[in-house]
Amino acid sequence: MKRGWAGYAFIGPWLAGFATFTAFPFAASIWLSFTRYDIVSDPVWVGAANYNRLLTEDPIFWKSLFITVKYALVAVPLSMVVGVALALLLNLEIAGIAIYRTLFFIPSIVPVVATSVLFIWLLNPQTGLVNGVLSEFGVAGPAWLADKRWAFTSLVFMSLWGVGGSMVIYLAGLKDIPLALYEAAIIDGAGAWQRTRHITLPMLTPVIFFNLMMGIIGSFQYFTQAYIVTQGGPDDSTNFYALYLFNRAWRYLDMGYASAMAWILFAIVMTMTIAVFRSHRRWVHYEN
Amino acid sequence: MYRPFDHERSAAGTRALWAIAIVLIASVAVALALPQTMPRRFPDRKPIHVWHPWTAEWKTIVDRIVATYNASQDRYEVIALSVPAHTAASKFLSSVAGGAPPDVIVSWDAVIPKWAEGGIIMPLDGLMSAEERERVTRSAYPISLKIGTYKSRLYAIVTGLDVYACYLRTDFAREAGLDAERPPETLDNLVAWGEKLDRFDSNKRLVRAGFLDPLSSVLGLAMFAPAFGGGFYDWDRGVLTLNTPENLRALSFLAGTRERLGFENVVRFESGHSGDVANAAWPFITGAYGITIDGQWRVEQIAQYAPDLAYDTFPIPPPVGGRAHAGWASGNFAMIAKGAKNVEGAWEFIRFWSGIDNPDRAAEFYTWGGWLPPFPDLAEAPAYREYVEKNPRFKAFLDVLPSEYLQPMPPVSHQAYLWDRIAAAYAAAMRGTLRPDAALARITLENEREVAMHKELGYTE
Repeated sequence: MKRGWAGYAFIGPWLAGFATFTAFPFAASIWLSFTRYDIVSDPVWVGAANYNRLLTEDPIFWKSLFITVKYALVAVPLSMVVGVALALLLNLEIAGIAIYRTLFFIPSIVPVVATSVLFIWLLNPQTGLVNGVLSEFGVAGPAWLADKRWAFTSLVFMSLWGVGGSMVIYLAGLKDIPLALYEAAIIDGAGAWQRTRHITLPMLTPVIFFNLMMGIIGSFQYFTQAYIVTQGGPDDSTNFYALYLFNRAWRYLDMGYASAMAWILFAIVMTMTIAVFRSHRRWVHYEN
Repeated sequence: MYRPFDHERSAAGTRALWAIAIVLIASVAVALALPQTMPRRFPDRKPIHVWHPWTAEWKTIVDRIVATYNASQDRYEVIALSVPAHTAASKFLSSVAGGAPPDVIVSWDAVIPKWAEGGIIMPLDGLMSAEERERVTRSAYPISLKIGTYKSRLYAIVTGLDVYACYLRTDFAREAGLDAERPPETLDNLVAWGEKLDRFDSNKRLVRAGFLDPLSSVLGLAMFAPAFGGGFYDWDRGVLTLNTPENLRALSFLAGTRERLGFENVVRFESGHSGDVANAAWPFITGAYGITIDGQWRVEQIAQYAPDLAYDTFPIPPPVGGRAHAGWASGNFAMIAKGAKNVEGAWEFIRFWSGIDNPDRAAEFYTWGGWLPPFPDLAEAPAYREYVEKNPRFKAFLDVLPSEYLQPMPPVSHQAYLWDRIAAAYAAAMRGTLRPDAALARITLENEREVAMHKELGYTE
C-alpha cells in the first residue's frame, strides 16, 4: 500500500494538471459547442445552431476542411516515403553514418517557429535560396508563398524538413529486423529489391502504422506553419482547419462555434483512426 | 538465470523515490512562494496595470511616457507590460475571464465593437466629467471619435493616429525627368508618374515599382474607396456599404495598376519584399518603390535608418471627381477593461497620455516617436509645431488628419471577420484571380452569411 502511495505521489501533479487543463476543458467544450460564448459573458444555449451553420452555411469551413484533408492525403504519404527512404539509406554501414544520421535528425528538433521564419527567407522569390538555385538551371522559380498555385505545395515541402523525427523511428524499426531473415533470403537467391519488398517493408509495417497514425492526427492539427508563413493566404489557399478554428475562437470570439468545429474535427480524426486501426490486420505484420 | 528478490535494494529504491518526490514538491512550493513580479518602484501608490502592444524602440517611448506619468504625481504607479500584438487579444480575454485583467489595454486591432458588445471593455462616457466629454466630443479629430465609438458610446480614447500618404523618391523622380518639387495632384497624374518610374530587368521582371500601394502593409481598397467617394460604412445611416459603384471603381483602379505591370510580375515583386518591411529594410528605403503609400511612422524610421534618403511626402491625390484627403486611417487606442481594479487611475492615465487634461505637456510625447495626436490642440502645441518644423515631411499627414473623409474599420460587431474577408477578396483581386466586381460580390455574400449567423445565434448587431 505504501509503495502504491509513492506512485500516486509521483503521478499526482500530472493527474491534477490533466484533470484541470485537459479533461475538464475537453468535457466543457462539448457543452460550449451548443452555446453562444465569447469567453467573458455566460454561455447561452443555442442548441445545434453552431453545427447547423457550420455544415450548411459556412463555405470557409468546408474549404478549410478540404485543404486540411488534401494536406493529410499528400503530406502524410510523402513524409512516410521520404522517411522510409532516408532510414534505408542511413541504415547502410558506411563511414561516418552516425554523422549523417545526426545531420538528418537535427532539423526535426529546430522549433517550428524558427523553421517557418527560415522558410520565409528560403522561399523568397527574389532573394531566396530556392529560386537562386533554380535560376542556376535556367528555371524561373515562382512566388512560392504568394502564389495561390504554389503556397499549399510550399507548405507540403516544408513539412519534409521535420521528417528526421519519423526517420529515427523507422531506423529503429529497421535495426529491429532479425538478420537471420536476410541471411535466409540471400541463401534463397533474393536480390536487394526482393529483400526490401518481402522482408524490410513487411517487417517495418508496425512502425509505418505508428507513423501513419501520428501523421494523420498531426495533419489535422496543422496550424503553426500556416499561421506564421501564410496566415491562411493567398486567397484562403492555406486556410487550414485549425487556423480557421483559431480565428473563430480568438479573433472573432465565437468560442461556441469554434468548440463545435473542434468536435467535428475530433469526430473526423477518431473515424480515420478507427478506420486505420481496423485496416491494420490486413497490412501490418508483427514478428510473432 | 534466477535472481532472488533483493529486499534491501528494493527498500533503498523506495527511499530514493520518496526523496525525489519530496525534492520535486519542495521545488514547486519554493517556486510558488517566490515573488512573481518585479519589485514595485512606488509600493505605497495604487497600481495602474497597463498592457500595450509595442516592442523594441517603440516600447522605449511608452516606457518614457509611463515614467513621466509616474514622476508627475504621487498617487498612482503605472506598471506597463508589453504584450506583443498577435497574442495580446487572447491573453487579455483570458485575464478578463479569469478576473485579473489589466486596468488599461492599448491595442490597434479590430477589437472595439466585439469587446464592447461583449461587455469586455467599459464605456468611457460615464467616467468623464462634463467638461471632458465636451472637450473629447467637440475637439477630437473626427477620425479619433470614429475609431473609439461604438453604438454612440465612447469605448476607447485614441492615443495615436495612423494616417497614410504618398512617399516619393525624389532622386528617382529627377532621374526620370519629373519635377520632384511639384508632386502629382491627381490620381491619373500619379499613375503617369508611376509609369515613368517603373524599372524592369532584362527578363522584363519588375525591379522597381513606379507606383504601387504595398499589398502587405496597407489595405489599398480601404485606402482608395473613400477617395472615389465610397467606403465600407455610411456613418450617417449606420449601415455597411460594401458593394457600391464607388468601391468598384476604386478596386478596378487598384487592380488596373497591377494588371498594367502584369499580375504575376507584381505578385513576384511584392512577395520578394514582403518579409522585410520593417525599419531599414523597408523596400522604399532600399529603392524598390518610386512612389508608395505608407504611414507617418516611416518618416521617423527614415530619419533613423536612412537620414540622407532623398524623398518627400504628399497626400494621396484624388481621382477626377473624387475626394481629397480621403482614405483609411487607423490608430492605437486605450480602453479600460471590465473588472479593472483601478478604474479611476486608468482613466487618469489615459487622460494624461492623450492630452485631454494638458495638451501642451502631452504634445511632447507625440514628438518622441513621430506619432499623430488625437486632438488638434496637441498638433498646435508649441512642442509639436517645433517638431513638424524640423520634420517637414510630417505635414502631409497632418494636413489629412482633420478630414471628415477619413474612415476606420466599420464599427460592426463582426468587424474582425469582415476585415479578414475584405482583405482576402482584395488580395484575390490584386492577384488577378478574382474580378473586382466578383470580389465585392463575394465580400457582400460572406458578410450576409455572417450577419445571418449572428442573428441565428442571438447576437445583437
